[in-house]
Amino acid sequence: MSGFFLLEGSSAAMRHPAIIAVAIIYFVVVSAIGIWATRRTKNARDFFVAGQGIGIVTLAIAAMASTLSGFAFIGGPGLVYSVGTGAVFLVLSASITNTMGAWVLAKRMRLLGEARGLITVPDAIAARFRSPTAQGLSAVSILVAIIGYMATNFLALGLVIDAMFGTGLTLGIWLAMLVTLSYTVAGGILAGVYTDLFEGMVKTVASVTVFYFVLKAGGGLAGISRAITAVDDTFLGPWGKMPALAALSLFFVFGLGSLGQPHVAHKFYMLKDPRKLKWYPLLMSVAMALTLLLYVGVGLAMRALTAMGAIAPLARADDATPAFVLGFTPSVVAGIVFAGVMAAIMSTVNSFMNIGAAALTHDIPRACGRRVDNELLWGRIWTLALSLAAVIVAQVSGTLVAFLGIFGYGLFAATLVPSLAIGLNWQGATREGAVASIATGLGLTLVLETLAYFRMFSLPTGVTVSGLSLLLSLLVFFAVSWCTRARAASQLDADIRLVMEV
Amino acid sequence: MITRLALSFLVLSCTAIAGAYLLAFFPGGAPPWAAWGLALGSAGVLSSMMALGATRGGRLRPIALAACVLTFLVVGGAFSLALLLPANEGKDAVIVLGFPLRTAIVLYGVGIVPMLFLPAMYAVSFDADTLSDDDLARVRRAGQERGA
Repeated sequence: MSGFFLLEGSSAAMRHPAIIAVAIIYFVVVSAIGIWATRRTKNARDFFVAGQGIGIVTLAIAAMASTLSGFAFIGGPGLVYSVGTGAVFLVLSASITNTMGAWVLAKRMRLLGEARGLITVPDAIAARFRSPTAQGLSAVSILVAIIGYMATNFLALGLVIDAMFGTGLTLGIWLAMLVTLSYTVAGGILAGVYTDLFEGMVKTVASVTVFYFVLKAGGGLAGISRAITAVDDTFLGPWGKMPALAALSLFFVFGLGSLGQPHVAHKFYMLKDPRKLKWYPLLMSVAMALTLLLYVGVGLAMRALTAMGAIAPLARADDATPAFVLGFTPSVVAGIVFAGVMAAIMSTVNSFMNIGAAALTHDIPRACGRRVDNELLWGRIWTLALSLAAVIVAQVSGTLVAFLGIFGYGLFAATLVPSLAIGLNWQGATREGAVASIATGLGLTLVLETLAYFRMFSLPTGVTVSGLSLLLSLLVFFAVSWCTRARAASQLDADIRLVMEV
Repeated sequence: MITRLALSFLVLSCTAIAGAYLLAFFPGGAPPWAAWGLALGSAGVLSSMMALGATRGGRLRPIALAACVLTFLVVGGAFSLALLLPANEGKDAVIVLGFPLRTAIVLYGVGIVPMLFLPAMYAVSFDADTLSDDDLARVRRAGQERGA
């Protein structure tokens, strides 16, 4: 989610000329990149995997940009403001996941692209298990998750555009969609990765700059801590205001779940030279660490400023970032931060548009035994159709959109981690195990989230739907693969075995 | 052998997490010690996944092995200390590197320390242990043979 509740009262402040000027410059740069990429997009490989020609710095920053959605700038700091240190457990594993992802996924995915010319994540699952069913099921899971993700992000971007330009929410949502769509439908993922590169740099600059003002406003980290601990003895505890079980559950889901995020895994196909992966964990870790400073810092600073009596308590936690940047940073910095918010949202949506279009153009037809003749044309058509569907969902109802947006990460994790991350590293895994685990993850997430949404069932404190679904899909994967282990060797092609062994 | 060991550790870690979740379903909720299942289970899941990914031809080279063991010790150790040490995050909190002690152990121990050694260990061992020019050439050859 990306923060639904930008300060209504702050709209006037957000229309400061400096803020609007930065936003306009941002849109001009993004448009220029889109036009440049459109001229270079000649076929489906360009559209879906950027012609397999991007460098390692671009890959790392683009992966960071699409990993950290608008939630990292709005919803996340709001969550820190609400529950303290516990909210940091969503991002705490970033110190490990980049290296883990490099060992588990990056090399194997990139080599699969080399050996087979694959272009999607379900492609990799299909090749590993020689299973169109697994390809189709994983593509359906991706589609279910991305519609909600895209809708929440369009809604959030619509709110930002409305607050800055006074367009009204409906027009804001449509403008959000049109801007993102314009470069995605024309330039595909090639436009996406280079706008991600620019957007990632904007996000990093915004985060580091704001963190400087966080330290200045709060009197350093120690000053912030002393102000908070003077009035609240749990907020800065190791788990914050959450039970230890709940905080650790977030660490598990977001740590292991990072291996099942298709918009990141998909990018490994695009790297020009696989040997440059050597630097991926270092570049990605530095980029993530710098960009997450805002996530951690703003929520803590706002809580400290409230404790000091410098500001009134926030009416809504999601107001933390807008209130801080409008109140404690110069207008130009505020402009960069709001551009950073837009960047975060657009880079994530762009990635989802592309993998969703790939699922519809490439994966589902192949799972049904068909091939689309002109994948470039159909990729563009499905990108448009998915965007329209997401915009319509975004306008249906705030709570429905929030519901759809919440389970995206968990659904990706529960359906893709076993078959993709473990499947590519364990030759004993079987097709039956993969299909059973994807079906378990998809079914369980949908059923439990729906029951929870309609308040018909709730899990005990500390247990989350995403955590439970991920765990059960893993256990099903192991159990079914073990029961059908006699078939494992016969399901592996020689070139796939080589990719798994090098 | 190493793959089997990593998988066994992964399944064991998942079982520890499942145990913690299961305890939460009992009347009265999970006892405080259930958090140990998730603390050590999560550290185990991430370390064993890394070991699984870093294993080549059934062997885990020394640098990768050290990275996996260190990650488990650092993450599991930081969470264990946070669970073991007495709570002191009120007015009299001891502030270390900007945070109360237990919080500093978790934020720096889990959030920063692994970043100081994991990317470096990956880069240092990459050419010899992860992907050499020869490996790449073999995969390319296999792809060409399949295409032909």
